Amino acid sequence: MKFDDETTDVLIGGYLSKDAAQDDYEAVLACGGYLHGAVVVSKDLKGDLSVEQTDHMVREGAAGLGAVGFAVGLFAPPLLAATAIGAAIGAGAGKLLHRKTASKLEEQAGATIPVGGAGLIVAYPHSAAAKVEPAVTRAITKAVGEAEGHHVKALKGAIADAQQKMAESGA
Amino acid sequence: MSEPDRTNLPIRRLPFQGVSNRTLDGSKPDWNLIGHPEAPPGAPNVLLVLIDDAGFGNPSTFGGPISTPRYTQLAEAGLRYNRFHVTALCSPTRAALLTGRNNHAVGFGSIGELSSGFPGYTATVPRDCAPLPRILAENGYSTAAFGKWHLTPDGQQGAAGPFGRWPNGWGFDYFYGFLGGDSGQWDPCLTENQKIIGTPEGFYDKENPFYLPDAMADKTIEWLHGVRAQDTHKPFFVYFSTGCSHAPHHVAPEWADKYQGKFDQGWDRLREEVFARQKELGVIPANAELTPRDEAFPAWEEVPDELKAYYARQMEVYAGYSENADYNVGRVIDAIDELGELDNTVIIWIWGDNGASLEGAVTGSFNELTMQNGIPLSDEMQLQLTERYGGIGAWGGPMMDPHYSAAWAWAGNTPFQWGKQVGSHLGGTRNPMVIHWPARITDTGALRSHFTHVIDVGPTILDITGIPAPSHVDGIKQEPLHGVTFADSLADAAAPERHTQQYYETMGNRAMYKDGWWLAMKTPRIPWLLTPDALRPYAPGVWDPDADPTELYYLPDDFTQAHDLAADHPEKVAELRELFWAEAEKYKVLPLLATMSAFFGIVPPLPDVATVEYRGDVQNIMSGMIPRVYNHSYTISADLVIPAEGAEGVIVAEADHLGGFSLWVQDGILTHTYSMMGVFIYRQQADEPLPAGEVTVRMEFAADAPKPATGGEVTLYINDRPVGKGRMDHTVPIRFSAYAGMDIGRDNGGVVDLSYEDKKPFAFTGTVKKVIFDVKPHLSAQDEDELHAASHHGHAAHGLSQ
Repeated sequence: MKFDDETTDVLIGGYLSKDAAQDDYEAVLACGGYLHGAVVVSKDLKGDLSVEQTDHMVREGAAGLGAVGFAVGLFAPPLLAATAIGAAIGAGAGKLLHRKTASKLEEQAGATIPVGGAGLIVAYPHSAAAKVEPAVTRAITKAVGEAEGHHVKALKGAIADAQQKMAESGA
Repeated sequence: MSEPDRTNLPIRRLPFQGVSNRTLDGSKPDWNLIGHPEAPPGAPNVLLVLIDDAGFGNPSTFGGPISTPRYTQLAEAGLRYNRFHVTALCSPTRAALLTGRNNHAVGFGSIGELSSGFPGYTATVPRDCAPLPRILAENGYSTAAFGKWHLTPDGQQGAAGPFGRWPNGWGFDYFYGFLGGDSGQWDPCLTENQKIIGTPEGFYDKENPFYLPDAMADKTIEWLHGVRAQDTHKPFFVYFSTGCSHAPHHVAPEWADKYQGKFDQGWDRLREEVFARQKELGVIPANAELTPRDEAFPAWEEVPDELKAYYARQMEVYAGYSENADYNVGRVIDAIDELGELDNTVIIWIWGDNGASLEGAVTGSFNELTMQNGIPLSDEMQLQLTERYGGIGAWGGPMMDPHYSAAWAWAGNTPFQWGKQVGSHLGGTRNPMVIHWPARITDTGALRSHFTHVIDVGPTILDITGIPAPSHVDGIKQEPLHGVTFADSLADAAAPERHTQQYYETMGNRAMYKDGWWLAMKTPRIPWLLTPDALRPYAPGVWDPDADPTELYYLPDDFTQAHDLAADHPEKVAELRELFWAEAEKYKVLPLLATMSAFFGIVPPLPDVATVEYRGDVQNIMSGMIPRVYNHSYTISADLVIPAEGAEGVIVAEADHLGGFSLWVQDGILTHTYSMMGVFIYRQQADEPLPAGEVTVRMEFAADAPKPATGGEVTLYINDRPVGKGRMDHTVPIRFSAYAGMDIGRDNGGVVDLSYEDKKPFAFTGTVKKVIFDVKPHLSAQDEDELHAASHHGHAAHGLSQ
């Protein structure tokens, strides 16, 4: 199957641990769906970045993912939505305290992946979505983008779309 | 010598009975002058053991799943008490235990962290309520306390005291332990007598790491040996108060691994198993009924299969941790036995001070303070954070401060409902007690079912020792003890039950007991929910306590509170409700919810100090005493001297990687690390190295707005020139740590940034002349007022966990 035969999907997942991202990464590889590529990016507790990617990435798709970097708009889940503070004073109580991360979307993975966190990026033809997406079960935040066109252009577009959706979701 | 008057303490010295002439010629000494008060003849030693945050159904001695051979050994040679009661919260139970009086009446309606301007909530014992250790010490006992204290106001745990509120001030000759509500067992910040001594050196020993429960037993034995080396017969009073089984649940894997697979059946089945064993043992009546699961707790079968191992490990660690406490108490008992004094030592061992703790929320947590900081994390998030810090196999190790699921706590409180904080029900108020005294107890292995309460322990000890409750101490007339002795029940199973009436109040949850009837008045709030929505119904002008649901139980027929009789006996409900109000007024319980008054804007006056300055040798500042850096802008600046060859190390650090901040230097680069409870970790670095010589560095946090958990921008400065920046989307709203301290010039104990862990405590190799916190650099007066309320609110919320 050629990369630009159909719509390309990109799934981005955000995780609080490398283990969780790795679990989903392996599940995706084993799901039976055709993949253009998959990448796990993680940062350990000392701040050191590591990247693991599929052999698929040596194919055409790899250049595409590499070209756009791993700007995963990770995290800031609404963890503090229910903070108790403000019960008495009212102000701000119950509001989501997260901040959209749109401004970070252009940053590189090293700057984007938080210490201790991890991200997963999976690129696949839209026809494989029914197999790929259910395999991703542990992502704290997840978004799927899609785009059409020539391979690198489609890949970039799908990543951008996924990032935008993640930002809009407040993740 | 005649028996002295022990009702007026200190015991007065008798007049000089000798002769003092102008010279020694003909003079006769009176050696009593240099003696000291002696205990009544035959007064026994007393070992009082209190386990923390544990439930009726935890120890195997009472049918639980946790192996407690030493507890059982004592029970079989002594007595089990199965209707012993506590207050449903840490400090209140301890205050009642050590004063023989109702907790509100001695200022401990709440905990040390939540002192308030109402008489029942000051966290300060009135001088007309002299504590038990003071009475014993004045009557000739050697007194010592080891482990958890939690009876000193949060803001008074430093070098300035006042020390009357520390253990020595309560009458203990010696104290070794921690002042707060909990402590890491691997990395405690310890206190010895009137000094914070910090994290022991053994923490840095990888081969033989420090472990507080072991050290507590070691220190107790050492103290006993020291006392006996000086005085072969002076009786001792030892208060051995374990940090176990409070979070953080810290224990070595070999203890936890003993329970591998033992909890795979889940909490529902566990309760059934424990209940069956309790009946077999006879520690509950044959007609007792197991109370059902409240919908606040999920059914085990609803737990996703992929998470069951995560949950099961939580309980395995808790069980191993608790068994280790049994082991270490056993070591102390062995030491007393080796001294040949076990027969004449009264051992009172209470397994739990408030039932097992529900404060881990349903999910449990890798970090006990996530709940108190209002951070809602799903079980999948908790699992991932657990993986981040080493995985479920590391639960119990030094990388996490874990707390198990509330559902495990509920199982630990079998056969009762609820648990800690819930003063309306037996899950939070009834705990096992064992008493061992070979010299007096002949009915060994028997059960006592007298209604007893923690306020009875002091009067019972005084009764046993032959020491009267004093009418005056230091010239101050004393409030009578509220508890009553149950000493005669030690020798007589048919001894009358004297404690016939008792109120309960914790966090607004209330009960009134009288002559077997128990009126439960629980607020509908789930104990682990601290959300605005959960708290709002209790705001002033909103809450009507008498509109709370009521349940009525008749305990002689219903040991477990399984049958609510309220609908059948409205007159009894009304009678007990009125009695509660009368008792509440009498014992300073009012206003209700004073524990949570800060949540509703009732806060102490604003401090008049905006900047706090620390010189370079200040260390181990208790976590509740650091500058108010929460929820608003602040700066940290430091005056340094950098040698020509450069410097590295920590300039200032609060707490550790599970919550804290550090301003530090490595390879000449100034770095600020901020751990938002171990969930988010932020770093900002300077883009140029520090110069040599006199240098001023500054970290400036510009909050988005003065609001809880605000995000904001960080800017680093060297000599007032910006050199680095970054953003922190979330900050800690309440408190970084329950126990880890702040240090200048190093990072004692667990470190904030794990990239320098192998150099810990990473002392600064240059000179830190001083560090200055400015906690209101950008605020308007209105902001300051709002933030004051918010910051105190946060302070209060922390305390709810203790």
